Amino acid sequence: MSSFDCPREQDVVNAVLAGAWPDRCDDSLVTHAAQCVTCQEVAQVSMLLHEDVDHARIDVIVPAAGQIWWRAAVRARLESTHAAARPMSWMHAITGAIVLGVFLAAITTVWPMLPGVINVIRAASLEVLPSPEVSRAIAGGLTQIAGLAIIVAAIMVVAPLALYFALSDD
Amino acid sequence: MREITLTDMERLGALDEADRTFQMTEEAFRAFYELTARPVRVYLARMTGDDRLADDLLQETYYRFLRANASFESDDHRRNYLYRIATNLIQDHRRKPFMEVPAAAIVEVPDAAAAAQAAERAARRLDLERAMKQLKPRERSLLWLAYAQGWSHEEIASTIGVKTASMKTMLHRARRRLVALLTPGERS
Repeated sequence: MSSFDCPREQDVVNAVLAGAWPDRCDDSLVTHAAQCVTCQEVAQVSMLLHEDVDHARIDVIVPAAGQIWWRAAVRARLESTHAAARPMSWMHAITGAIVLGVFLAAITTVWPMLPGVINVIRAASLEVLPSPEVSRAIAGGLTQIAGLAIIVAAIMVVAPLALYFALSDD
Repeated sequence: MREITLTDMERLGALDEADRTFQMTEEAFRAFYELTARPVRVYLARMTGDDRLADDLLQETYYRFLRANASFESDDHRRNYLYRIATNLIQDHRRKPFMEVPAAAIVEVPDAAAAAQAAERAARRLDLERAMKQLKPRERSLLWLAYAQGWSHEEIASTIGVKTASMKTMLHRARRRLVALLTPGERS
């Protein structure tokens, strides 16, 4: 026990909170408190706070238990929905990256093969078509169309992905 | 963060799920809430000095309590845990200025003697309120739990999160300060 601590302090508080202080409690406690500075202070503070609590309790309005429960339940559900949505966003990002990677890999593979393919087409067209000028024109056109087709395909793959990530809030 | 809203059906589903999500059933919660809500609300209001904030913190306190992954040995332990949450929430808001809580108006006064008594009580409450405002948030919490709720030193120490010996020293200091602030002539 320290100099500011009294073993009967709690008894005084209990008596005050029970509304028994000082008239309806143990005489020895009242006698003790009259000589104990700590208990006098404790009684004074406790009476004031107890009075304040009593008064505040009358006025205070709390929401119904069901309302608190309902709000908590909805909030818990909302939080779990958020938590469940988080891995989905990651999955979308990973899928997008994979699609982009596959597309770039395909372009890298196809691009060096393109002149060869065009040469094959030109050789084939030379056999079929009567004029070499027509065959050359077709080959030139094919080279231009192939480049354009790759750019269009790239836009078709990349644009929806870019749009998705731009509009996604996560 | 993308906004996620719940449909009415999902809201109903949330109620079904709640018994599994929360650490107690709705029935048990209702009983516990009836016992604790008013004192906790008064505690929050007196510690923050803001009734609206106290309402928000009350909801938050019970939400955190319900979601807590804790097991309780007794009702007292459960109640102490609830107050610990409330105390932590108050401390989170302690940087905000302590606002005046308007004293309740005395509506009906039957006679002069009762009027004088009521006025005296109102003045005492106002003095207490002013004195409490000048204390630190932790001092207010300590005094409230010790002398308005009647908690033991050990219970308060575990709720505040300090050792019992340190708590006793802090409580003594807070009590001395409050008494000094309430004593005419000693007010700073």
